[in-house]
Amino acid sequence: MEKLGREKHEIVLVSGIGQAAKLPHYVDVNVFDGLHGRALPAAAAIKMSNPAMTVVVTSGDGDIYGEGGNHFLHNIRRNVDIALFVHDNQVYGLTKGQPSPTSDAGWAGSLNRTGVISGPFPPLAVAIALGCGFVARGYAADVEFTADLMLQAIRFKGFALVDILQPCITYNKKNTYQWYGRMAYKILPEHDATDRMKAFALALEWEERIPLGVLYRSVRSTFEEMHPAIPGPPLHARETLPATVQEMLRKRTLTPG
Amino acid sequence: MAADLNIRITGGAGQGVHTLGAIISRMAVLWGYHFHATQDYMSRIRGGRNSYSVRIGSDPVRAGRDEADILLCLAPGHLPHFLPRLSKGGLALADTPSASPQVLSSPLKQMAVSAGSPILANMAGAGILACALGIPLDILAPLLAADFKGDFLEKNRKALALGEEWAMGRLGDTFRLSRAPSSPRVVMSGNEALALGAIAGGCKFAAGYPMTPGTGILSVLADNGPAVGLVFEQAEDEIAALNMAIGASYAGARAMVATSGGGFALMVEALSLAGMLETPVVIALGMRPGPATGMPTRTEQGDLDFVLSAGHGEFPRLVLSPGSPEEAFDLAQHAMDLAEAYQVPAFLLTDQYLADTIVDMDPAKFDIRPVRRHLVRGTEVPRAANGRYLRYAVTGDGVSPMAVPGEPGITVVAGSDEHTEDGHLTEDHDARIRMVEKRRWKGEALAQRTLPPLVSGPPNGDAVLIGFGSTKEVIEETRQILAREGIAVAAVHLRQVWPFPAKEMAEIAPRYDAALTVENNISGQLARLIRRESGAEIAGTVSRYDGLPFTPETLAPEARKRIWEALSTRMSRTHGAKGAETSGS
Repeated sequence: MEKLGREKHEIVLVSGIGQAAKLPHYVDVNVFDGLHGRALPAAAAIKMSNPAMTVVVTSGDGDIYGEGGNHFLHNIRRNVDIALFVHDNQVYGLTKGQPSPTSDAGWAGSLNRTGVISGPFPPLAVAIALGCGFVARGYAADVEFTADLMLQAIRFKGFALVDILQPCITYNKKNTYQWYGRMAYKILPEHDATDRMKAFALALEWEERIPLGVLYRSVRSTFEEMHPAIPGPPLHARETLPATVQEMLRKRTLTPG
Repeated sequence: MAADLNIRITGGAGQGVHTLGAIISRMAVLWGYHFHATQDYMSRIRGGRNSYSVRIGSDPVRAGRDEADILLCLAPGHLPHFLPRLSKGGLALADTPSASPQVLSSPLKQMAVSAGSPILANMAGAGILACALGIPLDILAPLLAADFKGDFLEKNRKALALGEEWAMGRLGDTFRLSRAPSSPRVVMSGNEALALGAIAGGCKFAAGYPMTPGTGILSVLADNGPAVGLVFEQAEDEIAALNMAIGASYAGARAMVATSGGGFALMVEALSLAGMLETPVVIALGMRPGPATGMPTRTEQGDLDFVLSAGHGEFPRLVLSPGSPEEAFDLAQHAMDLAEAYQVPAFLLTDQYLADTIVDMDPAKFDIRPVRRHLVRGTEVPRAANGRYLRYAVTGDGVSPMAVPGEPGITVVAGSDEHTEDGHLTEDHDARIRMVEKRRWKGEALAQRTLPPLVSGPPNGDAVLIGFGSTKEVIEETRQILAREGIAVAAVHLRQVWPFPAKEMAEIAPRYDAALTVENNISGQLARLIRRESGAEIAGTVSRYDGLPFTPETLAPEARKRIWEALSTRMSRTHGAKGAETSGS
């Protein structure tokens, strides 16, 4: 955040509910801590209302991919200029150990003692399929590397996703630091991040090894640029002139003769 | 004698029923008359059996009628369905032979084809109706030029002329309206008036998911958005819509959503969020018959209890229930203002009937008030001893000074967990008590601004008919009918149902021998609310729950019967009590 070079009053951290969603309460910036799964609609509207603000969503895999799955899909389509950080630990920690949408099939936890039947939600593949302009994966054990991805995501003009692999040392005994240490690797510098098909192929890698870094990058116009009523002063500073309303009534007035 | 003429146009979706209805209505206004138009349509894109009723009068018309004086069927097959509701002396026009002496077989299709296209049957019909009313077609010229262009304009003109020509000498003078002095009139539906009122009230952000009858509000906001700097976005679902409006409100924009009961059901969690974050937001809810999908395009007042109790936890809210398009315009401004002044969710509770009702109105009745913001900016932003801004500072009336994120030198923290004054989450029980009480004080302050019920008729007497929302004008016309019969009856319209005007109702109701509510629901939700909040005795409810609105001609006999029942029950109870007293002494 400090590297951004923005004042704290110019940043809004938006979150839903969960352990990851509590993060904004420990950072001295503007905070909107809303409902479970509903961070994205609120964040998108905050940005639409005041595009000069830097809007960052920070939440967990259950919040964004489960409860808020529909908002995840549609806000990628919308392409509002916000950065989304998903702290993905493949488990519900705050409610004590239930599987999350990204839990591997067969993983056994609370409420699913015989193992998860559903297949895991592939956030990066879904994001690339929907045309998300910035798709990256970080890893909590590599702080500097991940911080750099986050910075790139915030600076990216458009909707940016960073899925951050994050071992839950309490409830997830499968996807541990040791497991990630074996599986994760950094994407080679030769990777052409503008190649959507190659990015998609990387996004599908999971069983054998897990790529870290920027998978896909492609700039398109943002929602704020395209929307007919957003350019201009922030909404809170806009006035309503009685004459404008009078004119709208006049248009609906029938005058004889 | 004052004219009172009900014209009903019927046809399938796509046949131009709406266009024809709108033309007849506007023609009447330009001729110096007033109208009230209601629509009864099915949930389909094409076909079905839709009707558009235009009641025309010399005096302002504010309710519909069941019986039609002129029936025009664009789909001849609809004739048997609508004919039973033709008035004595009424005339039916349809492109079909009929044994009924009231039906005049009219070659609508042939005229339309001659004019250039079978879809012009509605305009041929308009020509016939203009002739029946004695209104010259040239009065329509500016309207047609605005609605149609080029070749299509010519074809429409031709169809109108063919209709008029055919009707000449065939229709007689029964329905002729003599020219009356006319003046400028605003023509709008309830939905349009509500949306314009919200814009006048400073609305700068709106989100919604299409759902009848709320969509009409959204379309006015979307269409006019760029002109007034209002950002509209169609959300992926109603859950997103209200969360977006709350996000925009946090960022300092006056914000609203519009929906119906089913959509609002999805918004309920976010309603509670607005209660906790204390973000102002306006929710326009057009009721329709439930449960579930119910009758999507019809009307009901079944969601009163739902709106009053929706949302987990305890928090203040404002619920306004406009009774006419003018009132919708006025109360939408009021809702925008009070939502922000008290940082609460504010409802505009309407229904399909009011949403789709179109009337002509006096432009002078539209009071546009300057928007006064209730935000703190710059040096007005209060700072705590440590220099920080406290979003939830505890104040005397519970309303905390609201600053907007982006204000230099401060940060604005809003949290859905219980929070301390700075907005950060807490599990401290004393802090919880302070915040619960703060929210309650806000509700008490809001209650000080409660709009009193509107009363018409005698200050005391036999009976009072009480309603909320869209029934206002129907009850008023019914009251006038019963008053002419010698019943001393008053009408009460509740334009605000929460905070409930308990003191006023407790004072009004006992002045009449019988108090009845009139409600478009089966269970008498308003009657229960009045009893619970004011302790006033309500003798019963006149209910309608077939999906259609009340009309004075159906409400009057039912109300008359129920008033007499209530009065006789009361008398027998009084006599019974006296008898017992006598025998005991």
